[in-house]
Formats: sequence, C-alpha cells, structure tokens
Amino acid sequence: MRIRDKIMLVGGIPIAIAAGIAVAAWLLLSEAERARSGAVLAGAIYRDLLVAMTIRDDYVSANPAERDPHTERFREQAASAQVQLASLGPLARTQAQRREVASLQDTLARYVARMDEYIAVTTVNDRLIAEMSLRAARLVNLADEARARQHASNADIITTLTEKDQQLRRLRDIVDRAYQLRATLWGLQTALQHSDGHDHGFAVAQMRHAASGLAEALGAGRGGAALELGNLARAAAAAGPAETGTVAERLLAWCDRLLKIEVTAQRALQEEVAQLLTYSVEANETEQATQNVAVSTLKLGQETHEALTRRDADVAERKLARSGELANIAAALPISPLIQTDMIDAITEWRERLGTTIEGIRKQNAMIADMDRTASAMVAKARSLNDLFTGDADWLGAFIGHVLVIGATIGLLFGSMAAFAAARSITMPLRRLQGSMLALAADPLAGRIAESDRRDELGDMARAANVFVTEISRRERDLRHAKERTDETLAELRQTQADLIQAEKLASLGQLVAGVAHEINTPLGIALTTATLLGDEAQEFERALDGNQLARSRLAHFLDRMKEGSRLLFDNLGRASDLVHSFKQVAVDQVSDEPRRFEMKGWLEDVIRSLGPLLRKTRHAVAIDCPARLQVATYPGALAQVLTNLVINAALHAYDEGESGRITIAVEEAPDQLRLTVRDDGKGIAPQHLGRIFDPFFTTARHRGSTGLGLHIVYNLVTNKLQGRIDVESRPGVGTAFRIEMPKQLAGEARAEALAAL
Amino acid sequence: MMKYLVAGALALALAASPAAAKTLVFCSEGSPEALNPQIVTTTTGMNAGRPMFNNLVEFVPGTTQIVPALAESWEISPDGTTYTFHLRRGVKFHANAVFTPTRDFNADDVLFSLMRQWKEDHPFHGTPGATFDYFRDLGMPDLIRAIEKVDDHTVRISLARAEAPFLANLAMPFNVMLSAEYGELLLRRGEPARLDADPVGTGPFALVGYQKDIAIRYRAFADHWNGRQKIDTLVFSITPNPAVRLAKLKAGECHIMAFPNPSDREAIAANPSLRLLQQEGLNIGYLAMNAARPPFDNVELRRAVNMAIDKRAIIEAVHQGTGTVAKNPIPPLLWSYNEAIEDYPYDPAQARRLIAEAGYPDGLDTDLWYMPVNRPYNPDGRRVAELVQADLARIGMRTRLVTEEWDQYRVKLQAGEPPLALYGWTGDNGDPDNFLNVLLGCAAARPGGNNVAKWCLPEYDALVTRAKATSDRSERETLYRQAQEIFKREAPWVPLAHSIVFMATRKEVKGFGIDPLGRHVFEGVDLDGEASR
Repeated sequence: MRIRDKIMLVGGIPIAIAAGIAVAAWLLLSEAERARSGAVLAGAIYRDLLVAMTIRDDYVSANPAERDPHTERFREQAASAQVQLASLGPLARTQAQRREVASLQDTLARYVARMDEYIAVTTVNDRLIAEMSLRAARLVNLADEARARQHASNADIITTLTEKDQQLRRLRDIVDRAYQLRATLWGLQTALQHSDGHDHGFAVAQMRHAASGLAEALGAGRGGAALELGNLARAAAAAGPAETGTVAERLLAWCDRLLKIEVTAQRALQEEVAQLLTYSVEANETEQATQNVAVSTLKLGQETHEALTRRDADVAERKLARSGELANIAAALPISPLIQTDMIDAITEWRERLGTTIEGIRKQNAMIADMDRTASAMVAKARSLNDLFTGDADWLGAFIGHVLVIGATIGLLFGSMAAFAAARSITMPLRRLQGSMLALAADPLAGRIAESDRRDELGDMARAANVFVTEISRRERDLRHAKERTDETLAELRQTQADLIQAEKLASLGQLVAGVAHEINTPLGIALTTATLLGDEAQEFERALDGNQLARSRLAHFLDRMKEGSRLLFDNLGRASDLVHSFKQVAVDQVSDEPRRFEMKGWLEDVIRSLGPLLRKTRHAVAIDCPARLQVATYPGALAQVLTNLVINAALHAYDEGESGRITIAVEEAPDQLRLTVRDDGKGIAPQHLGRIFDPFFTTARHRGSTGLGLHIVYNLVTNKLQGRIDVESRPGVGTAFRIEMPKQLAGEARAEALAAL
Repeated sequence: MMKYLVAGALALALAASPAAAKTLVFCSEGSPEALNPQIVTTTTGMNAGRPMFNNLVEFVPGTTQIVPALAESWEISPDGTTYTFHLRRGVKFHANAVFTPTRDFNADDVLFSLMRQWKEDHPFHGTPGATFDYFRDLGMPDLIRAIEKVDDHTVRISLARAEAPFLANLAMPFNVMLSAEYGELLLRRGEPARLDADPVGTGPFALVGYQKDIAIRYRAFADHWNGRQKIDTLVFSITPNPAVRLAKLKAGECHIMAFPNPSDREAIAANPSLRLLQQEGLNIGYLAMNAARPPFDNVELRRAVNMAIDKRAIIEAVHQGTGTVAKNPIPPLLWSYNEAIEDYPYDPAQARRLIAEAGYPDGLDTDLWYMPVNRPYNPDGRRVAELVQADLARIGMRTRLVTEEWDQYRVKLQAGEPPLALYGWTGDNGDPDNFLNVLLGCAAARPGGNNVAKWCLPEYDALVTRAKATSDRSERETLYRQAQEIFKREAPWVPLAHSIVFMATRKEVKGFGIDPLGRHVFEGVDLDGEASR
C-alpha cells in the first residue's frame, strides 16, 4: 500500500470517528438546543400567562374609564403567548409534548374567547351604568323644573287668593247689610200692623238707612242691583200705608233673592278659596314628595352604582326591588303630569337597565369564575409543559455527554492503534532511504539506491534520486562548457568597448582637427587678404613713385595703410599661432594620454577656445570661473575629453533650436580635491533618465546621430583615469550641472611623473 | 347567548332614549266612570275613552258631519234597513303588557264589538259593571236584526226597520271598535274585566295608566292608521275644582282646561299666555223629578216646582249671564226646537198654592241631588242646588242637598234613586232624538237608562219612536214639536239653562277646538315651541 493511503487511513480513521462523534454531537446538541429553547419558551409562556391573568384581574377591578389600556395589554399578552405557543409546537420532540402544547393552545384560546366575551359584556354594562346615572340625574332635573313651576304657581295662587278674599269681604258686607235691610223691612211690616202712624215713619227711616247701606255695599260692581234697590226703597218710603205693605213685600222678595244669590256666591267662593289653599298645600307636599322621590332615586342610583362597581349582584337586586317601590310611589303620587310620565319613564328605564345590568353582572361573575377555572387549568398545563421540555432537555444533555465520552474513547483507541501501525510501516523504509541518500550526497557516483524497487513513495523518491545523480553529472559538464564560452564572449565585449572608445576618441579628435582647421582659416584668410592689399598698396605706391607723383600726403597715407596692414597681419597670424599652440597641446594630450602638471585656468581657456568653432555655430556662451594660479597634476587629455564632451553635450542637447544658453565651467579648489562644475541653463534632464545617462549607448537624441557614448566615456575617464567622481544634478526647465570631484594630484606614480614632466 | 344579551341591551338602549317627550296635559273636570266608551254615558267618560278608539264612521270634530273612519265606504239599501260596510285595511291595534296583536283590524273585530253589546250570550256581555246603557237607550237591541261578516273586510248590518240616525249612532262613542283577539286572550287568561279596565283600541293614543281622581296617561300610538300624533304623551290631570284648574293652567301645569268658571272668563281673555274658547253648547241643564214614585209622580207638584224656581237668578248668578233660560228639553240650536212653547212663569205664590192643592199644605221634605263636578251645562252644581233649595224652601219644600262621586252619581241617577236631581245633557249626534228619545223615552226609563226622571208616557214615546223610524225631516220635526208640547204639559223636568261652553288653553296649544257636542278631541293637537312645559 502506498504511504499516502496509509496516512490517509491513519489520519482518516480518527477524523472519521471524530466526525462521526461531531455529527452525532451536533445532532444531539441541536436536539438539546431545541429542547432547551422549548423549555425556555415554555417558561416564557408560563410567565406570559401569569401576566395575562394579572392583567385580567386589573381589568376586572379597574374603573370603567380606565379599562381600555388593560384590554390592549391583555390582547398583546395573549397574542404573544399564542405566538410563542405556535413556535413551541415545532420544537416539541415527543408525542407527549405535542399533545400538551395542543392542549394548552386550546385552553388559551378558550381563555381568550372568554375574556373577549367578558369584555363585551363589561362594555355593555359600563354603558348601561353610565346611562343609569344620567337617568337618575334627569329625575332631579325634572323635580327641579316642577318646583320652579310650583313656585310660580304659588305666587299666582296667592294673588288669586287675595282677590278672592277681597271678594269674600265684599260679599259678606253685602250679605250683612242685606240682612239688616231685611230686619228693617220686617220691622216696617210690624209697624204697619200696628197701624199707629209714628212707628211707621221710624221704620221707614230705618229701612231707608239700611237700604242705602246695602246700596253702598253693592257699590259700583253691582250697579244694576243698586239701582233696583234704590227704586224699590224710594217706592217703599214714598208709599202710603196702604201700598207700603205690598211695596215692602216686593222689597223683601228682592232682598231675599239678593241674599239667595250672594249667600250661595259666598259659599261657592269660600269653597274655591279652600280648594285653592288645599291645592297649594297639596302641591307643595307633592312637590316635596317629588323631590324626595328624585333624591331617593339619586341616592339609590349611587348605592346601586357602588354595588355594580363591586359586581355585587345580590345587593343590586335589592336595589332593583327598592326602585320598584320608588316607581310605584312615583306613579301613585299626584305629581305634575308634565313630569310624572317622564319620571316614571326614567325610573322604569333605569330599572330595566338595572335588570339587564344585574343579569350582565351575574354573567360577568360566572364568566370570571369560569375564566379562573380555565386559568388554573392553563397554568397547570403550562407548568407541566415547562417540566416536560426541561426534563427532555436535561436528559438530552446527559445523553450527549455519554455519547461524547464513549465515542471519544473508542476513537482514541482505534486511532492510536492504526496510527502506530501505519507509522511503523513508513518510518523504517524511510530511514533506510535516508541512509542511501546521504551516501549519495557524499559521493554522487556511489551507485543506485536500493529502495528504488519499492512501489510506494519511497521507491519513487529513490528512483528520482538516481535520476538526479545522473542528471547532476551531466549538468556539471554542460555548465563548464557554458562558462568557457561566456568568458570568451566577455573578452570580445571588452575589446569592442575599447574599440568603440578609441573610435570615439578618434572621432572627437577628428572633430577637433576640423574645428581647428576652421578656426585657423579665419585669421589666416584675413592675413592673406591683408597681405594682398598691402601688396596692392605697395604696387600703387611704386607706381606713384615711378610716376613722380609722390606727395607727402600720399606717403603718409601709404605709411598709415602699411601700419594698419601690418597690425592686422600681426594680430591674425598671432591668433592663428595661438590656436595652433592650443590645439596642439590638446591633441597631444588627447593622443598621448600622459599625466602632467598644468595651470588650470589657462588650460581651460585653451580647451574652450579649441571648441570655439563648434560653439560659434550655436549661440551659446561659455563662461569660465576658475581661480588663478591653480595647479593640477592629472591627465589633461582625459580631462579635456571630459570637458569637451560635457560642454558639447550641453550645447547640443540642453537647448532647443535657436535658443541661446549659458554654459558655465566653475572650478573650486579644496585642499586635495578639485571640484569642477559644468553647468548649463538649458532644459535639463528628465528625472527618469538621470539614472541612466552614464550608461553606454544611452541617448535621447539617437535620431540626431548621437551615439550615446559621450557621457559613458566621461564617466569612465573620471572614475578610472582621473580617479574622481562625477555627479549630475538637473531640474527640468532650469538647467543641468555636472559635478566632478577629483584629486588635484594623482595618486602614486603619477605624481612623480608629473614632476618630471615639469 | 352573549351576543343576544348584548344586542338586547343595545336595543333597549336605543328604544327608550332619554330624549324629552312632548307631553300635553288636559285638566279634566272629573274621573270617567269607565275607560271603555261602550259602557259610559257622560261626556267625561266619552272624552276619556275617545283618544284610544275609532268607530266605523266618525264626526268631523266641531261638526255633526259623518266621515269614513274604520269603514272606508258603505252602502245603504234603498229601504234603509241594510248597511254594508267596507273596512279599511292596514289598521293596527295597540299592544299592552299582556297583549301583542298578530293581525290587523278586520270584520271579526266589528262583530265582536257590536255583538258584545247586543247578544246576551256574548262572553263579555255580562262583565260586571258593564251595562251598555247607551246601546239600550237607543233601542239598538231591537233595532238590529243581524250582523254578518261577509268577508274579512266587509260587514253587513241588517235592521228590523229603517232608522235615520243609525249611521250617526254608529259614530257615537259607545260604538267604538274593540279587538276580538284581545278579548280571546283575556278569556284564556280568565281576566274578562280587563277588556274595559285596560282597553285596547285602534285610536291615536294608547293607554298607559289610570289613577282614579288623579290622572289618566296615554302615549301616542306610532302605528295609528291616520299617522302618528305630534304629541308623545297625553295626560288627563283630574282636577274637579275650576279655580284649581285655572291655577294649574296659569302655572303651565296643564295646557288645556275644561269648563273654567264663567266669572274667570274675563281674566282668562285678558291673560296674554292663555286663550279663551267659547261656543254655544248643544246642551240642556235640568232638574229631574222622579216621576215614577211619590211625591213627584204627581204632575201638579211637578208644575209647582217648575213655577217655584227662579231660573233667571241661576243664569245670573251661576252662568254669569253666559247662558239662556231653558224651557224645552232641547236647545234652541237644534232643529225642531219648539219656540212657541211658553215656559212656566216664575210665580212662587202660585207654586205655594199648587203644592198645598197637591196635598202638601205644610210642605214636604225631600232630597235634592247635585253633581260634584263642573258640567258644560252647569258650571257649579252645588250653587245651583243651593239656589234651587232656597227657591223651594220659599214654597215650603225643604230639601236636603245630596251628592255622590261623579261616576256613582250617574249610576244612581240612572238607577232612579234620587227624587230630585240636577243633571244635564250634551247632544252626542246633533239629532233631536238624542235628547227627546234618549232622555225621555220609555226605553230609557228602565233602571240604568238615561231617562233620569224615569218618566214613561206612551203617548210621548210613540211620537219619538215614530220620528226615529222615518228619515223625512219635516215629518220628524212635526212629531218632535208635538213631543215638546207633551213634555211641557207633563213637566217631568224643570229645564234650567242652555249654556255657553267655555274651554281655556295656553297660547302654545295648536289645533284644539271647542266642540258643540262637548267632545274633547286631542287628535291633531300640537304644542308650540318649548316641548313639555
């Protein structure tokens, strides 16, 4: 078997076992989780139910105005318990739990339904109770109205009574005087019977007096009767004894008639007064009774209200019976009909509502009892549910523990055994292989490894090692060949580099020569021209001489011209000679390439001069800033090449077509070192090129024919030959500065040779 | 179950709302003798029953014009003996504590109501206290030959002979229509007397309760065939004394009062919150003398009494001038009034002689009965009695004043107990027969009949009976005139006065009119402005 398989086996078994345990544990844990969350939920439901029951109690005992918040809360609580129960269902693991959950859901639903019914009944009851209060209050209002009317009526009755009393007085007066008249008439009749005359007159006088008294009593109100009386009385008085009797009879009859009428009127009036008084008193009593009824009803209403609020149906029944009595009283009293109907109606309606309310309260009480029973059943169920779930969760927890322990133990044992066996089957051949490999490492040619016959990974490794060894030898050989070839190539390359540098040198030398030639040409040309002119002048003078036309002025003129001419010739030829001298030195330097001592400033000027022609092509100006009497001992050729290259670089590359720039060569002296700065104010070098400008063949102007070797040569010369350093600084758009630091005296033999050269 | 309770409670709440009801209070002059008009004869009783009932035909209030009521139309056979009535449909009966009607008014109810008064074997005919005097006084038991139900809405009444006032009689209060279904229910419950004590009718108001001498309460019947009344509650506040009635009217405790004192009429007319109604009444106030037994079976004595009484004094004192002296038993307004008849003169001396000739030289003692309540024909029964007493005393007739409770008073008078009794009558149908026959005919002379004088003269009776049978007015008039002459000759009464009837209302009462037949009609009455004040 392959090692891989063995390892897999070894590793796989524990893993498989562990995985098995893990799966089992995970399943069991999730079950346990379920059970536990079920237990928690059951606990929560239990608490919610308790809270709901408390809220119901609050609702039952609350004031009608304050019931609504409890309703809301109860509904919320019940809904939350129902939701929780619904989510508990899926969590049930056993049949018993599911049954219990379903049962509790039913009970809760019943409880909620009962509560809804109770709320409905309570709402109706509350409203009825409120209406009853209104009715009771109405009675008081009605009674007040009746009393107000009664007061008004009493005032009116008093007025009426006063009038009637006055009438009675008048009547009494009339009656009294009528009786008096009657008496006098009787006296008159008696007097007549006596037939002696003197009594007659007296009696008549009496009669007349009485008659006028009666007439006065009759007054303006009974004008007709008074008139009749007057006529009769006068007739009686005027009558003679014969007719007096008859007239007296007539007057008597009239008087009786008047008495009849007035006496009966008096009685009738007295009757009326009595009736009015009775009515007034009765009315007051009735009004009082009405008030009492109203107040009793109000009080009854309050007591009933208290009983209803306490939901005491028995007390309320008694109040109902009492109100029946009140209703009967109200119906029996002679209350003002205007309010009696209303009062009786109000009481009747009040009683009806009370009856309904009492029924409602009985219902409520029954419902509360029922709800309490349901609630206790509910709570018991919730508790048992809680226990079921918790028990289940506990059992699961224990079970998991056992499973884990047992599984782990088995796994451990089995795994260890398998691992041990597999390990052995691997490590032994591995050690053998290790030995073989080490031997091979020491001596690659030692031969094949023994294990290469195995079919497992070790065999593969052994075979591979064999192959390596063979391969290594071969490669070594190849490597050597390649190295030799590389060396050759390198030598070639160096040669090429030297050739190229040489070529460059020759090129610049050529350039130099060309430049020199050009330079010298100018003064020489002028000299030649001047000489020609002089020749011509001389000829002219000769002619003049010959011709004996020689004036002093002409001679003066000829001398001036000769002086000017010779000056010109001297200047130009001198210039040419200087140039040749300079160039010579430079060229010698360039070609000979020997170190010597020289004075910096003059030498610099020479060099720059040699570049004159080239520079004149451009518009650039070269300035030298060098301290005087600075002596250096170094390779002038190399330095000259360096400077040349730098200046020409600046001239050619730092400016665009047509620009005129300023190139400055500044020399600074340090004790042993020399600092040489070639600065220009051109366009500068881009930062990304700065690092590469000294690389061979690097140029940005290959299209213009630049070889890219200039600065490379500069670099080489500075660092190798001149034993110095070169640095570049550039800012695009501002300018470039090449800084060279080199020793004033070359190290070593150079110094001696330099001295010798002086 | 719960839902029904709640629904029931809500229905109750909605049904009996506490909104103030419009209450009309009528201060009436006395307690009715019964609530069922079938068994009353006084206008007090008729007025108390009227709000609850309807008849087949009715009088237009204020007139004697007959219009359809529970009968929409009718045909009378050419010989006047067959009346076919077509009944109105959709007429509802009241419901009360024990009874809820299951059907509308139909022919069964007509038969029930008429048969009860007619047939002695009718289960309700012998109800204690029920004597159907009016029915008998008009001779209806002999007049009606048959009453048939043709179909549910058609009734045919066949008469033994033509009777001109028959239709008018059907419009009279004693011919109200009761509920046969209610009767059956009461029979099943064993409470037949409740038919009269707790009546159920088709009228605009239904009875709520009756307390004797205190009040009768009615509530508007919402399903009345002629529409619901504007008044919600009608109350008769029974107040016998007219001064107290006026005090209540002024206080606003009642809105309409019956029969104010004539002496108060100016004060009422001057009062800005009151209105005085007056009209000449179709009435007669009289002193009846019991002609069936001594002493007043003696016609001479009766004539003596007629001459002894100073009628003018009564008019002056009691009626305060608002009345006329009566000489005939019918009022001058009524056709066939015999104005040619001369009244007995007021001659106490002559009366004295007559009484002595009648065999009472020392005078005699007797009882004079008077009514305890105001009547339209007599504002103050007691005072009239006192005046009469004084007059009679002058001729040697010493009288003792007696009275009874009003409902008993009538019974006693109709039984023929008093020797002398003050009474009166307001015409119920505008026909002379209603006076001359009902009050003086032989049929009514039986105990319990309206002929209080218990005077039966065949000569007179024949005249009025013949007059009833014909519808020829001139013939009737002749007969009635003759009857009046006989009356004058036999003098069973002393006719005292015909009065102007007064009623007083508060200004806010609308639609109430005074009626010559003494009817207090509350149908169509409304209260202005403030509702139940």
